Amino acid sequence: MLSDNKFNPKILVLATEACAYPGADAVGKAHLEYGANVYVFRVPSPVLFPEDFYLRCYAKGIDGILIAACGSDCPYRGAYDRLAAHIDSLTTRMKAGGLEIQRIRLTAICTVCIKAYLKEVGQLDEQLRALGPVNQSVAGQLQHLARARMRDQSQMSAA
Amino acid sequence: MESMKQETVQDSAIPHTPRVGVYICRCGGNISDVVDTDHVAEICRLIPGVAVSKVHTFMCSDPGQQTISDDIRQEKLDRVVVASCSPFLHELTFRGAVMRSKMNPYLYEHVNIREQCSWAHKHDPRGATAKAIQLISAAVGKLSHSTPLEKIRLPNHRRAMVVGGGPAGMKVAADLAACGIPVVLVERSDRLGGKLPILNRLFPNGQAATELAAKLESQVLSNPKIEVLLKSEVTTVSGFIGNFEVAIHGDFGPSGHATDIHTTVGVIVMATGFKPYVPTDGEFNFKRHPAVVTTVDFNALLSKQKGDARTFQFDGRCIRSIAFIHCVGSRQVDGVHTPAVDGRINTYCSRVCCTTVLNQALQVRQRFPDTRVYDLHQDIRTYGRGHEEYYTDASRAGVVFYRYHGQEPPEVTNTNGPTSPLRISVKDYLSWGEELEIEADMVVLAVGMTPGPCETLVDQLKLPRGEDRFLQEIHPKLRPVEISVNGVLLAGTSQAPMNIQETLAAAGAAAVKARAMFTTEEVELNPYVAEVDAHLCEGSGACLTQCEYDGALAMVEILQDGHTVRKAHVNAGLCVGCGACVAVCPTQAINVSGWRIDQYDAMVDGLVRDLTPTTI
Repeated sequence: MLSDNKFNPKILVLATEACAYPGADAVGKAHLEYGANVYVFRVPSPVLFPEDFYLRCYAKGIDGILIAACGSDCPYRGAYDRLAAHIDSLTTRMKAGGLEIQRIRLTAICTVCIKAYLKEVGQLDEQLRALGPVNQSVAGQLQHLARARMRDQSQMSAA
Repeated sequence: MESMKQETVQDSAIPHTPRVGVYICRCGGNISDVVDTDHVAEICRLIPGVAVSKVHTFMCSDPGQQTISDDIRQEKLDRVVVASCSPFLHELTFRGAVMRSKMNPYLYEHVNIREQCSWAHKHDPRGATAKAIQLISAAVGKLSHSTPLEKIRLPNHRRAMVVGGGPAGMKVAADLAACGIPVVLVERSDRLGGKLPILNRLFPNGQAATELAAKLESQVLSNPKIEVLLKSEVTTVSGFIGNFEVAIHGDFGPSGHATDIHTTVGVIVMATGFKPYVPTDGEFNFKRHPAVVTTVDFNALLSKQKGDARTFQFDGRCIRSIAFIHCVGSRQVDGVHTPAVDGRINTYCSRVCCTTVLNQALQVRQRFPDTRVYDLHQDIRTYGRGHEEYYTDASRAGVVFYRYHGQEPPEVTNTNGPTSPLRISVKDYLSWGEELEIEADMVVLAVGMTPGPCETLVDQLKLPRGEDRFLQEIHPKLRPVEISVNGVLLAGTSQAPMNIQETLAAAGAAAVKARAMFTTEEVELNPYVAEVDAHLCEGSGACLTQCEYDGALAMVEILQDGHTVRKAHVNAGLCVGCGACVAVCPTQAINVSGWRIDQYDAMVDGLVRDLTPTTI
């Protein structure tokens, strides 16, 4: 049992409706356990999140994010490749901006990938405990920059 | 002004003060043995916007659902959260419950505190209780940003496409057309009938396969509601129930040249059939000796026998003995059988081969009394009505049986000797495992079934296949002819090895299911597609660069304050709701309805909200 003053990271799992969310269900159905600090949100495809969304999560105090996608089983055309590109770009900016890139993880979890799910959340949890709490103010600044960059790019291409 | 609008979107403050009802399910102890549900209800009462917070032993029961209905009326709730099992079990149940109380079903949120909480944190009740509270808080946050949504209604095209012109395809087409549904029947070969002509006498009644084929064919050809396309193949297919867009390439049309047809159908029936297993070179001496043939070849040989010879004839020779070997390409054993190119072995039973062998063996014994017959099997599975009689009759007719184990299949060698050209070595378990050698003039391999070609449709519609590579039904008992892609049905051996009787029964079921899909003039779809906030859209076109679906998204010119401006516009019927467009919008003007970014932001706010009683 964790003592109250020990750091307990908040982990957000963005799980695809077609694969990873039922995969997370399968872990519970098998009565296998992981930390209660892991929260799962269901998404059609995580490709929909703009970069600043992730940074906003950190700014609000989410310590780590696991994007649990469908991988090659993705029901949407091209979505997984685009998602991977988003996360690539996000990690570059996190690195440059001074936010640990271990706080984001992209993986494919299938509907019965119990072991993979446990391994991913377990490893992320371990890394986050080593890193300590997220620097919310750095994340907040990066979030504003990311949003501003999107606007600028759009205005440049319009001009 | 633009920046102000943008701020409103980014700000997760509650735009409307809702009255949320929160219901926590004990699930008869499945949840409440770990999660302190009473404490959860108590804390949730303190979340801004929550008007009612209650616990029930089984929320999905009638009294549980009634509680929600009563509260919607008496407490004037306009949003509802149920925290219970996985949404895959009961999200639709509770959506239905709120809908019956005249609440918009999309103002309902489901929270999973069983599979993803109580069951996964059994040894951390405190942690699980705290997690349940934060997840409910996230759902309440989302609901404060939810708006009523309406299902998308689209026309249901009253026309079916049947892929495959074998017995299953012909039966589906004939039955559907008899109900008045127009059918397009696509067949890749130049004739109808599929594999029927390779069969000879059909068990269990000995009817000629050609006779059955002719009957089914005349039912198809005599019905003007059926359009038969021979030498044609489906090249592209997309869409959804009621609205599948199909391109068919084939040799039709007045010119006789290959052309493409584009058409819209409401339902697709997969009657793509099977391919007989082809033994590999040298498997039981196949292709190493001309007198080693398959049961498919043997059917043809049987029908070609002429005159009243007392001995079976092959290649100008009298065949004095024939050995049948069961389970060739079926019930294969890992480590014993060589995998196919895709690395798989066929571990399944093809079901029809046992009766086929006995049917053929019996015909040989009855017509050619001077030809001896040996039967080498693992098991005899003559499971159908009237099938067991073939075994009894074959035994009486003097067929000699040997039984081998799957791990020790018989071996066939060329003897080149003067008496019999082939020798079979078998360890026989009808005796004490005696090692026997049988001399034979001919060996017949009872080949099983492998899935017929259907890759285009499988790839483009994402149809699931089973471990055996046959198409996979939703549920073997409850939904046996449906596949997880709504509007697509299975008929016959595209799904699994079946005999003719079972194939036609499955085809009949698929026809009825297909007919039932045309009972409404419109199909309803969840409203989870992209939506554009025209006030926020600045017409950058960034969304368009991400969209993979033709016609789902377009830029249109509209008149705004006396000026013509470009705005993104969504075609709800073609958008699949993947959200690729959402991530790149510079002004966050585009979202997926029901899964909006501001809703996710509000969920995160709810997740991190400090709900310890002292701080509220």
